[in-house]
Amino acid sequence: MNKKYIFIILAALLIPLINGCNKKPANKALIITGQNNHDWKLSSPVLGQILEETGLFSVDIMTTPQQGGDMIKFNPDFSRYKLVVLDYVGDPWSEKTNSEFVDYVKNGGGVVVYHASCMAFPDWKEYNEMTGLGGWMNRNEKDGPYVYYVGNQLIFDTTRGPAGSHGDAHEFEVRTRNTGHPVTKGLPVRWMHGTDELYQQLRGPAKNMQVLATAFADTSFKGTGRNEPVLLALEYGKGRIFNTLLGHAGEGGGPAMQCTGFIVTLQRGAEWAATGAVTQIIPADFPTAAAVVLRPGIREITTCEAFEMITDYDIQKSTRYYTQIQAAISDAAGDEKKLSGLEKKMVKVLKNNKATAEAKKLMLRELSWMGSDYCIKPIKELVNVPELKDEAEFALERLGK
Amino acid sequence: MSEKTSRREFIRRSAVIAAGAFVIPEIIPSPAMGMGGRTAPSDRVVIGAIGTGSQGMANMRDFLRLKDAVQFVAVCDVDSARLNRAKMMADNANKNQDCRTYADFREFLEKETPDAVSIALPDHWHGIIYTEAVNKKLHVYGEKPISRTIKDGQTIVEAVKKNNIIWQTGSWQRSQAHFHRGAELVINGRIGKISKIVVGLPDGGRSIGTPPVKEVPPELNWEMWLGPAPKAPYRGVSHWDWRWILDYSGGQLTDWAGHHIDIGNWGAGLEYTGPVEISGKGVYPPEGIYNAPVEYDFTCRYANGIEMRVANASRLEHGMGTTWYGDLGWIHTDRGNVLTASNPEILKEVIGENEIHLYKSQNHWQNFVDCVRSGNQAIAPIEPAYRAISVALLGEMAMATGETIRWDPDKEEIIDNPRAARLLSRPYRKPWTLPTV
Repeated sequence: MNKKYIFIILAALLIPLINGCNKKPANKALIITGQNNHDWKLSSPVLGQILEETGLFSVDIMTTPQQGGDMIKFNPDFSRYKLVVLDYVGDPWSEKTNSEFVDYVKNGGGVVVYHASCMAFPDWKEYNEMTGLGGWMNRNEKDGPYVYYVGNQLIFDTTRGPAGSHGDAHEFEVRTRNTGHPVTKGLPVRWMHGTDELYQQLRGPAKNMQVLATAFADTSFKGTGRNEPVLLALEYGKGRIFNTLLGHAGEGGGPAMQCTGFIVTLQRGAEWAATGAVTQIIPADFPTAAAVVLRPGIREITTCEAFEMITDYDIQKSTRYYTQIQAAISDAAGDEKKLSGLEKKMVKVLKNNKATAEAKKLMLRELSWMGSDYCIKPIKELVNVPELKDEAEFALERLGK
Repeated sequence: MSEKTSRREFIRRSAVIAAGAFVIPEIIPSPAMGMGGRTAPSDRVVIGAIGTGSQGMANMRDFLRLKDAVQFVAVCDVDSARLNRAKMMADNANKNQDCRTYADFREFLEKETPDAVSIALPDHWHGIIYTEAVNKKLHVYGEKPISRTIKDGQTIVEAVKKNNIIWQTGSWQRSQAHFHRGAELVINGRIGKISKIVVGLPDGGRSIGTPPVKEVPPELNWEMWLGPAPKAPYRGVSHWDWRWILDYSGGQLTDWAGHHIDIGNWGAGLEYTGPVEISGKGVYPPEGIYNAPVEYDFTCRYANGIEMRVANASRLEHGMGTTWYGDLGWIHTDRGNVLTASNPEILKEVIGENEIHLYKSQNHWQNFVDCVRSGNQAIAPIEPAYRAISVALLGEMAMATGETIRWDPDKEEIIDNPRAARLLSRPYRKPWTLPTV
C-alpha cells in the first residue's frame, strides 16, 4: 500500500481520539472573587488553571462589586454550576444571594473554600457551618471549639480565646490524617508543602467535618506547637465542601500554590465536592516527606516531556524527571505495550548525541531490569564510551547478555 | 573434624593449662591475665573487627563490656581515622599497643587467624566480605541486613552451612526479654491461629538534594568504600547516610527488616520460609541522591495463608514494631520494653513445660561468645536473617516494578516474571565478584 494512504488512514483513525481529548469538561465551576485581604488577582487565575488542568472542569471567574459597592447586583445563578470556589473575603452578599447559595449547597452543590476564604462572613451562620473552621473577624469561643490533633487524637478544645493566626511562612510537613477519604486516599502519609502561611487556632462549628490533613505549627516559626488542620471535608445538606487552608498566593501562585501537594489536593477536593468521587490518579510528582515539589507552570509534566527534559539533565540540579520516568515504568507494570513504548524512549536517550552521560546512566539503570532484546545493541555500543562503560556493563550483565 | 573445631578445642585445653600460668604464644598479649581467678586470655575468643564505623564500634564496645569474653587483635576499615579509633579501643582493653590494623579486608583475612570476626559494613559490601570471612572458617557476628540482594544472601547462607561456623546476626532484639516473650506467647497459640502480622518500620527522612562533588577526605579510601557498587563521585555522603542510597542499601525498610520482620517471623514460625506473593507501593523522594523509599506499604502472603504487611510506622495503627493478629486477639511489641495485647490477661499466661520454648538469650554478644566456645547455634542464625531481609527485598522489588511478585520460598526463585528476577542480584563493578562457596 502506498505510504500516503497509510498516513491518511492513520490520520482518520486519530481524529476521534483527538476529539476525545478535546471533549468539553463535564463540570462547570464558578470561582467567586473580587474582594479579599489577599491578592485575589494573583490567586484566582491560578485556581482556575488548577481546576481546568484536570480536564474535568470548565471555569468561570466572577468578581463581586468592589468593597462598599452594591451587592444587590451580585447574584450568580449557582444552579448552573457543579462547583463554586470561594476566593473571597469581603462585604456580605445580599440576603437573596446568601439564601440561594445555601439552597445550592443543600441541594447537592459542591464548594471549595480556599485559604483566606475561611475568614469570610463571620456572621453568616450557614456559611460557617459549611466551612467548619474559620478565623479572625472577631471569631472566638462563641463560634465553636479549637480543633487540632494531639498524637493520633482529634481534640475539640472549648477554651476561651480568639480564632485565627499564623506564624512566619515556611515550608512544612503535612500529615495525611484520613487515608480512607476519596480526596486523600493513596496520598503519602507525610509530605512537604511549599513555603506557606500555616493557619492555626481556627474555630468553628466543626460539624459533619472530617480533618483530612494537619501540619505541625512549629513554635520556632511562631506556631502554636499543635497539629493544626489544613484540609477539611464537610457535608452540608446534600452538598459537599472541601476547605483547603493552604495556598497563600504569590507571583505565579508562589511556592504555596505551585506546590504539587496543594494543586493535587485542590483538584481532588474539587472533584469530590462536585461529584462525590475522585477519579484522578495521584501523579508521580506528588511530594513526599523527603522534599517539596513545585510545579512552576502549575501544569503536570507529561512522561513525554520528562524524556525531553532528561536529555539535558544535570544531576546537580534535579533528578526529578528521572523519578517521574521511574514512576511511569512502575505504573506501566503488566502492560507490555506501554513498557515497550517506554523502552523505546529510553533507547532514544541512549542514542541522542545531545543527551548527557548522567541521563544515559539513569536510562541504563532502568533498562537493566525492564529492557528487552530491543535495547541490547544500543547498550553494547555504549560499552566503548569510557564514562558509560561501567553502567553499560552493569545493564548487560543484568539482562543476561 | 574441621580445622576450626580442633582449634577451638586447642583453645579450651589451653585454658586449663593457663590456669597453671603457662603462657601460650602467638596470640596472647604480654600482660598475661590468667592468674588471680580470672579467665585466662587464651580462653577468650580472639576476635577481629571489619568495619569500625558507628555500628562496628558499638559492637566492639558491647563485646568488651562482657567480662573476659573477647580479645580484639586486629581491626580493619577503609577510613584511617575510624580505624585508629578502633585500635585505641582494642589497645585500651588489651592494655597494650598490639592491635593490628588493616585498610584492606583481603589482607586482614589473609594474615589474621582469629576465632571470630565482628563485621559491620554498608550493605553493598556484605555479599563479598561475609562470604570470604565464612570461607576462611571464621565465626561471624554480622550486622543486619544480611545482604543487599537475595543472590548475595543465598551465597552467604550457603557458605555458612558449608563451613559449619557459628553465625550471629546483629538482630539483638531477639536477646531482649519482651520481644522473646511476645514471640513465645504467639508461637504457643495464646492469640489463637495467626492470620496477620503487621510490621511497622521507620518513615524515611528529608532529602539533601544533590550536593556538589567534593574532595575525598584524606582518611577515606573512597574507591575501596565503593568497592563492588557502581562508580560514583564523592559528594560528602558515605558513613551512616549510605543507607538512603539504593546502590548501597534500601533505606529504613532494609535497615530495620532484620529487627521487626525477624521478630514477626520468629513468633509466627516463619523464620525458615518466605512469602509466596508480594505486592505493594512505595513513595520515593522526588529527587536528589537519596533515592530509597520514604514510605512503603506492601503485603506478603505466606503459603499457610498468613499475611504480613510491612509499612512505615506513620501508616499504621500501632506504629513501630511487630503486631501479630490471631483469632483470639493481638500482641504488639516494640523497642522500649513495649509488649501490649488486645487483652492484658494474655500477657500473664504461663508457657507450660511441654510447650514451645524459644531460644533464650539475655545478651546478644555474650550469646555469640558462648556459642563460639560451645559450638552451639547462636540465637540469630543465618537463615532466619536471610529470610527476614528477603521479605524486605521482595517488597522493594514489588514496589519498583509495580508488579505482584510470586516467589517460591523453597526453590527461592521468582515465578514467571523475568523482569523482577533480574532484580535478585546487582552486578558488581569490576574487578569485584561474589566469591564462590
